[in-house]
Parts: sequence; C-alpha cells; structure tokens
Amino acid sequence: MTVSTFIIKNALRNKRRALLSVSSVAASLFLLVMLQVALRELTQPPESSGAELRVAVRNKISLTNPLPARQRPIIEKIPGVVGVTPFTWFGGKYKGEQGMSFAQFAIDPKALGTVFTDAKMDAAGYKNFLEQKDSCVIGRLTAEKYGLKPGDRFVLDSTVYPGSLSFRIAGIYSGTPDDRNMLFRQDYLDDSLGTPGQVGMWWLKVKSAADMPRVTAAVNKAFENTAAEVRAESERAFQLGFISMLGNIKTLVASISTVVVFTLVLVSASTMSMAIRERFRELAILKALGFRRRELFAFILAESFGLAAAGAAIGIGSAYCLFNFGDISKMTNGIFLTFEVTPRIVGLSALVAALLGIISAIAPAISVARMSVVNGLKTLD
Amino acid sequence: MALPLTYNFRNVVVRWRATLATVLGIALVVAVFVLVQSLAVGLEQSASNTGDPRNVMIVRKGSTAESSSQVSLEQFRTLHYWPQIARDEKGNPIISADVVTLISQPRIDGQGEANVSVRGVTPMGMMLRPQVKLVAGRWFTPGKREVAVSLRLAKRFAGFKIGDRFKTAGNWMTVVGEFDGSNSAFDSEVWMDADEARAVFDRQSYSSVLVRAASPQAAQEISTRLDADKRLPLRADSEVKYYADQTDTAKPIKFLGDFLATAMSIGAVFAAMNTMYASVGSRTREIGTLRVLGFRRRTILAGFILEGAILAAIGGMLGCLLALPLHGYSTGTMSFNTFSETVFQFRITPWLATKGILFAVVVGVAGSLLPAIRAARLPVISALKSV
Repeated sequence: MTVSTFIIKNALRNKRRALLSVSSVAASLFLLVMLQVALRELTQPPESSGAELRVAVRNKISLTNPLPARQRPIIEKIPGVVGVTPFTWFGGKYKGEQGMSFAQFAIDPKALGTVFTDAKMDAAGYKNFLEQKDSCVIGRLTAEKYGLKPGDRFVLDSTVYPGSLSFRIAGIYSGTPDDRNMLFRQDYLDDSLGTPGQVGMWWLKVKSAADMPRVTAAVNKAFENTAAEVRAESERAFQLGFISMLGNIKTLVASISTVVVFTLVLVSASTMSMAIRERFRELAILKALGFRRRELFAFILAESFGLAAAGAAIGIGSAYCLFNFGDISKMTNGIFLTFEVTPRIVGLSALVAALLGIISAIAPAISVARMSVVNGLKTLD
Repeated sequence: MALPLTYNFRNVVVRWRATLATVLGIALVVAVFVLVQSLAVGLEQSASNTGDPRNVMIVRKGSTAESSSQVSLEQFRTLHYWPQIARDEKGNPIISADVVTLISQPRIDGQGEANVSVRGVTPMGMMLRPQVKLVAGRWFTPGKREVAVSLRLAKRFAGFKIGDRFKTAGNWMTVVGEFDGSNSAFDSEVWMDADEARAVFDRQSYSSVLVRAASPQAAQEISTRLDADKRLPLRADSEVKYYADQTDTAKPIKFLGDFLATAMSIGAVFAAMNTMYASVGSRTREIGTLRVLGFRRRTILAGFILEGAILAAIGGMLGCLLALPLHGYSTGTMSFNTFSETVFQFRITPWLATKGILFAVVVGVAGSLLPAIRAARLPVISALKSV
C-alpha cells in the first residue's frame, strides 16, 4: 500500500461522514461564490458597449429634478459632442400591475442611431420609430415576458405625470446588457403634457474617449450659475453613483460572506477532529511503528485538504456552471443580469477552501503530536 | 414509555465538546437569518410608525412618492374650505401644504452621493407631525436659507452638522437644528420652510397636503369626495396608511434573509447529521442497553430527534444572543418608494427571535432524523457486543 492509497482509504473509511463533510463544504462554498458574485454585480454593474463615449447629464440638485429643454442647443454646440438626446423617466405601470416591471424613458428617436448605438434593431422598426409619434421600442426581454410584438398597442399609467399614455410598438431591440427598457418619443410626452419645456436628463455621445473629460467639463461649465446647474459625468461614473445610493447593502453582503466563511471553518474543523479522534489508536500504532510526527501530520493534512478540495470542486464548480451557463436574469426576474463568476472569485473561494483544509488539520494534528503512544493504544473508540 | 427528557438534555451537555461546533454553526446561521430579517422589520416599523391617525394625506392620483406628486396652489385653496377639515382655536383650518424634493448629498464617509428628501414644511405642518422633536439647535427661520436635519441623517451625510453649510440649487443652506423623528419616516428627512423651499427649488406647486380631519367619518368623506370630484386629480389616504404602505424596500431584504437562511441551513443540516451520527456511533452499547431495558424503537427514535432539537434550540438561542447587540443600530439604504436614503434600525422583535429559534429546531430535527432512524434500527445483541 502506498502512502496515497493509505490516505484515500482513511478519508473514505467512513463514507457517510466523508460525504456529509464534503457536502457541507460544497454548500458553503456555493453560497460564498454566490455572495461574491452578487456583491460584484451590485458594485460593478455590467458595462455596455460604447459606454466609454457616453455622457450622462443630470440636474445638480438630484436626478429627480428636471432640466429645461432649452439647454439642448447649447450642449449641441459644444465641440466633440456628436449626439444629444433627452432621457426622461416615465415611471409607468403596465396594465394595472402593482409595481413597475420595466423602465421607460422618453428620448429623441434619432438617439438610437447616435447615442444608444448598442441597442440593435431592424431597419424597418427604426424607420417606424422615426416616423410615428406614438411609437416606442421595447427590449427583447420585456417583449418576451409579455408576448408583445411590433404593431401591438399598450397603455402605461405614469406615476410621475398625470394620466396615462398609449403606445404602439415600432420594434424590438437587443444587444444592451439589460434588454428590458422601453424607449418612446419625448415629443409625444411633451404633446400629452402641453409642452412644459422640461426633460429628465440629457445623454450625449462624444466623438472619442479623449474628448470625454473636456466635454463633461464644458457641459458643467455651460450651465454654471444658471437656474438649472447640471452634473455631467461618464456613463460609468453615473452608474457607480447609482450604486452609492444603495448605502450599507455592500457592507451587509460583505459581512454575511465573512460569517459564512467562519461557519464553514468551524463546522469542517470539528468534523475533521471527529474523524481523527476516532482513530487515535491507529495513529498510536503508526507512531509505535516508527512514523514521525511530521509524517502523521502530513497524513492528517492530506486527508483534510482532500476533503476540502473535493467540497470546493463541487461547490465552486456547480456555482460556476449554474451562473455562467444558466439564464440568471430569468431566474432572478431581472434583479441580476450577468452574474458572472470571474476567475478572481474562483481563486478567492479556492483559497478559502485551501485555508479551511489547513486550519481543520491543525487541532487534530496537535493532539496527535502530544499523545503518548501508550495512552493512544489504551484509547477505546 | 418515553425516555426521560433529562437523558437527552444531559447527553447534549455531557458531550459538549463534540456538539459545540454544531451548536455554534447553527447559532451563526440563525444570527444571519435574524439580522437580515431584523432589517426588514426595522424598515417596516419605521414606515408603520409614521403619522398621526387623525391626519389625512392628500397627493396626486397615481403618484407613488410625495416627491413625484403635485398639488397646485388652486387645488390647495379649494381644499382649504372643506368642512371636513378640523379647525384650530382661532377658527383656521388645520391644513398644510408641503414641498418635497430630493437633493443629492455626499456621504460622510466619502463613499459617493445619495439622494436625501427635503421637506418644505409650514408651522401648521410641524404641528400636524408631533412625532418630530427638536433635539439640538433651533428651528429654521422663515425667509432665511436655513434647514433642520434629522439626527440620524446628520450622522450619515457630510455638511449636515449644526453650523455647517451646503450648496443646493445654487443656494447656500445653513444647518441650524437637529431633530429626532422618533423612529419614523421623518428620520430620513431634512426640513425647511415651505415657502423657502418653493423659492429655492423653483416650484410652482406643492407636493402634498396634510390635513387634520374633523372626525374619523370626515376623513372618510374627504377621500370619497376627492374620488368623486373629477376636477381634482387627487387622492386621500390616512397618513398612517400612506406611510405603512411604503414597504417595497423591505421585500428584497426579506427575500435575501430567507434565501441565505435556506442556503446556509443546508450546510448546517449536514453538520448536524455528522455530529448526530458520531453521537449514535459512540453510544451503540448504550442504545443496546436501553433496548434491553425495554425502551422501544420509536422511543429511541424520538429521543434522538429530541436531542437534535435541543441541540439546535440552544444554537438558535445563542444565535439570537449573537444578533442582539445590533438591535437598534441605525443603518440606511435607498428606499424604492421615495428613491432617497431611508434610515432605519435593526429591530429584533420577540416574534423574530422565536422564528429564528423555530428555524434552528427545524434544522436540528432535519439533521437528526437519519441518525435517529439508524439508532432505532440497531440490532440489540450486536449493539450490546460492540466496544
């Protein structure tokens, strides 16, 4: 019998216990991966293509304060700006639903070709959108959810503006990280409200990434000390600003992960020492046969490491497969979109598993090292 | 014949070393469950704790937040003369129109910005909200760019200490007072004079109207009269109900708590199983003896399940104790209803603690079921022979 078969035989001598230990490690590591992925997604939302060229302009007071429509020509004149569109939150509820299940924004229809170029749709739909005032485009996911197709009409009750509006679907777009939004025409909204001359935000596209800092500074400067001061920032900065509003959620998820890791260490360490205690007598015999402490420690370590590694492989592996190959946005009803398990997260979780294997081996190893051969041989189970 | 309870209880105590890790593991699972759920409870409590039962809140039909509601000056004037509104000793109707807007403010820890609700409030509006009490400094003076800030918000945002100034809508505002909203939704607000707020934020209309109803029937009448009047696109609700309904933010937190508890408990069940199997294994002879003494299989089964339940209940109680220091601790997140920072506390209620312990017992029973069956099935003779 070689040393490695000896270790494997030992690890599997109580198959039920080995299985339970591996499963509890696997369950905990699955959860750990999931929490880390959720945390990453919350703090670093997926980036859409062309984001590096887009600028979000909001009222400096807060996102909810409107901007005057007359700012548009001033922004358009700023060198480096290739496209401008209003972007107004409508807050509509679909057919008497309790909450809002997808976001709707009023834009300039041309923006699909100039600013939001990552939203891809067929030419006929785009043409319809440009021509018909009451038309709208919806994301693929929303269309699938409600079984909507081009040509259908539907009504939204706004929670922000008085009354409701009826829309005709011009086309269905896809290709953005979150294909759920509905985009309709600002001029249609203006008509229904009696042209109040206000928009929610401006979104711009700049010519090149190098223009970005200069354009944002110029936009901010243009409206300084006016009645509606603005905050222009890159799409990324705007997204991150959104996340900072979530407040202490990040700390919460991070501390839960810590507790999970701690529980994991505790439980597996106890299982390991249970397994070792059971065969004190055997280890004493090994000692009597001339095996050294170092070697006994290696046996224990290898066994505990092996169990932890098996658990890690199952836990991390299943999380990886489920999250990276499953349709997570469908499973969570759109709360999470990509839920990507990155190599970094895999590495970190594997590190936790490795440490777990080592820590679990320490306590039993110490007691084995301390035991005298005579006492060990005397031990009953 | 049932096994005496003390047998199982003393077993847990005597073998404490082997069971300690399991108990602690269950304790941590319960602690996470209780803590996350206590956030949801805190959010719901701060919502349901807001308002005066005699008050009626009037907002634009279809609006979901005060900040996106509009009540025009004319609509406000019309409401003024309604007989259903109570009058003060001078004969003036007790009615107040507020302006609610959101401002983006930097967090005190430098972690970005968040929206904060600013309420422009009249003296009458302050009287209508007796929950809000000044605790430091003074109230704002009408006609001056001054604000009073909730004590709890002041701890979370930069520039919110008494004497500090912050710039919004092109104006420098001075913080002159701090108030305590008695754990209500007002703890998440900045207050200033209503007319000042309309001037600073350039608002033609009000956001909401709060009135004191002359009687409970009058409150009902205001609501029906508004529903019937097509010229007034407004809706009335009891102030208490209006706030109590704003619990959208608590839902995902509850979901998170349930989900984490379920996921972690799977690991905990495996751990409990391990411990109980080991416990059954090392007590084989003892079980044989019990059987010889005349205890039945099902008694042994019940005994071991009970042991697992006791073990888990101890863990559950420990978990509640672990969570308890955070009770009352203030935290904040973005409210899905108001789209602004909402401040609330961890609230560990007796019911929540009971739920946590019950949850632990379920984990314990699930974990000890299979080992208990094994114990009950041990053949008597070979069990007695085992070393």
